[in-house]
Amino acid sequence: LSRCRCIPAMQRELGTLPLAPALRARLAAAGFQTAQELLDTGPCGLSKEIGISREEALEALQVVRQECDGNAARPAGGPGATRKFTALELLEEEQTQGFIITFCSALDNILGGGVQLTKITEICGAPGVGKTQLCMQLAVDVQIPECFGGVAGEAVFIDTEGSFMVDRVVDIAAACVQHCHLIAEAQQEEDHQKALETFSLENILSHIYYFRCRDYTELLAQVYLLPEFLAEHSKVRLVVIDGIAFPFRHDFEDLSLRTRLLNGLAQQLIIIANDHKAAVVLTNQMTTRIGQSQSTLVPALGESWGHAATVRLILHWDNRLEPSKNCEILFVAMRSSLFPGSFLPSLYHKVISLSCSVKCVLYIMSPCSTLRLKSHAVIP
Amino acid sequence: MVVLRAGLCPGLTEDMIQLLRANGIRTVVDFVSSDLEDVAQKCSLSYKALVAVRRVLLAQFSAFPANGADLYEELKSSTAILPTGSPSLDQLLDSGLYTGEVTELMGAPGSGKTQVCLGIAASVSLGLKQHVLFLDSTGGFTASRLYQMLQAQTEDEEEQLEALQRIQVVRVFNIYELLSALQELRDRLSQQVVSSMGPLKLVVLDSVSAVIYPLLGGRQSEGLALMMQLSRELKTLAREFSLAVVPTGIQVELDIGNGDVLEPSLVTPTQGL
Repeated sequence: LSRCRCIPAMQRELGTLPLAPALRARLAAAGFQTAQELLDTGPCGLSKEIGISREEALEALQVVRQECDGNAARPAGGPGATRKFTALELLEEEQTQGFIITFCSALDNILGGGVQLTKITEICGAPGVGKTQLCMQLAVDVQIPECFGGVAGEAVFIDTEGSFMVDRVVDIAAACVQHCHLIAEAQQEEDHQKALETFSLENILSHIYYFRCRDYTELLAQVYLLPEFLAEHSKVRLVVIDGIAFPFRHDFEDLSLRTRLLNGLAQQLIIIANDHKAAVVLTNQMTTRIGQSQSTLVPALGESWGHAATVRLILHWDNRLEPSKNCEILFVAMRSSLFPGSFLPSLYHKVISLSCSVKCVLYIMSPCSTLRLKSHAVIP
Repeated sequence: MVVLRAGLCPGLTEDMIQLLRANGIRTVVDFVSSDLEDVAQKCSLSYKALVAVRRVLLAQFSAFPANGADLYEELKSSTAILPTGSPSLDQLLDSGLYTGEVTELMGAPGSGKTQVCLGIAASVSLGLKQHVLFLDSTGGFTASRLYQMLQAQTEDEEEQLEALQRIQVVRVFNIYELLSALQELRDRLSQQVVSSMGPLKLVVLDSVSAVIYPLLGGRQSEGLALMMQLSRELKTLAREFSLAVVPTGIQVELDIGNGDVLEPSLVTPTQGL
């Protein structure tokens, strides 16, 4: 019969604790295996046995003690506390959470209401298709007061390509304020009037925090400092990084370093999204994958990056439908947790064709199947 | 490589340890593999005492041999098969997920790994009324989607809510948090605390690559070491507590020589789990 030893937390192996690699190597050479042995030795004995200073030994022991004491010692609810919930609690939380609407009903429909908070949404597309415009729209929409159906938050806009145009944001903001005024007039409720007092052009612009990052080091530093910034500005509900691909695509010789940095970045962003209840929106470029007989346009930054985003939107020009004065934009949601119906991977594909003021065709695509038109609806 | 300490076993005193250390014997392995007559002479310790200590150490640190037939009986009585909720997947897995085993789901982005995980969690929680632990490292767990799946399987609202309560979600966004969470799980299970946790049968880990990827590559081999630690922890958890463990990941080609991660290919799975 296999021996099932009851192992308390103190028997935790040193390899699983966040110690510096050099220190860990010394400890292994000296024969230490579990946390208990380390704590038994004490700082003086430790510094003598492995040849480090007493301060370093104390520091190491503190790290070990903190990890092993676990969550009892950590303050509840703060960042770094365990994020443990039952699915029921999460469902209640999700149902009361708002969405950031995009003012394109077709896109809002496909996203299940709008851009979700606490998730990473990636927008990919060819140059000029409208990614930055959509980001600027979202930076305004996140500020819509709650009585009009918004989340009443602020926005952080991190720009790496320099494509942020303030005058365009002014246009968008003015139109949004106008829209809210019309709703207020139609519905004549008191809280609408009150909300409109603070929802003005100057207010909207002053609550978009703009950062310009010129290379990947600045971008990484900015994301690293973001939690501190968000702790001071707790109303931020949207973080946009316009152009996550740009700093990483040119001038990068070490591709494995790039993969490592991007994955580390993805984890930092998901922590930010989760802890601060914010939506993180990234824009990505497209690259050509040259296959054996044909070449396809795929999102840049490689396949490992594909897993970073929870929702991925791919926009491209569609020249197949009848030529018309309106431009056609195809929205492709490549991965989303919101598919109704069967969850079997090879089976879901729904084609929804809608048109709005900019004619767009939306379809949800799975990598290995053919497209089939299932339903057709026209929204004026 | 356990270091010899006073009190490790009766008869092993501090003086004895100092003498042994002076002659280069620091760990249990050193002691047990050395020639005791030689040691007795060099350290001027009693041979009988050393033999007695060695006997106790061997008994304490060696593994028991097990009879093959006993192992088989134990396996038959403790293994359960969990249906995944998808008949074709069940068929592929030879009727379902086996407890005591680690079943890994690999796939390209958007291929449906999280959806399958949610489906399995829903099926085990609703159908078998067992508890599920969902370790989420990508933020991709959407409770509304899980609720949709439950609604499709049963109309009874109370059953749906109960099923939701049986699924515990822990969000771990880096490798150390993940290892802490697994350690906590181990503590809870080994102490057999009768808590709201109930009988746990399934642990889903979505995804492993999200926490491992930032560490792989480069000149340090720390990433590989942590990956091995993680895989060993998952396997021993599955075996010792009769759980079905389902990690998900992406296929990656590792250049073991310099630890570089090559661009992921869809051809061969090489991740070491």
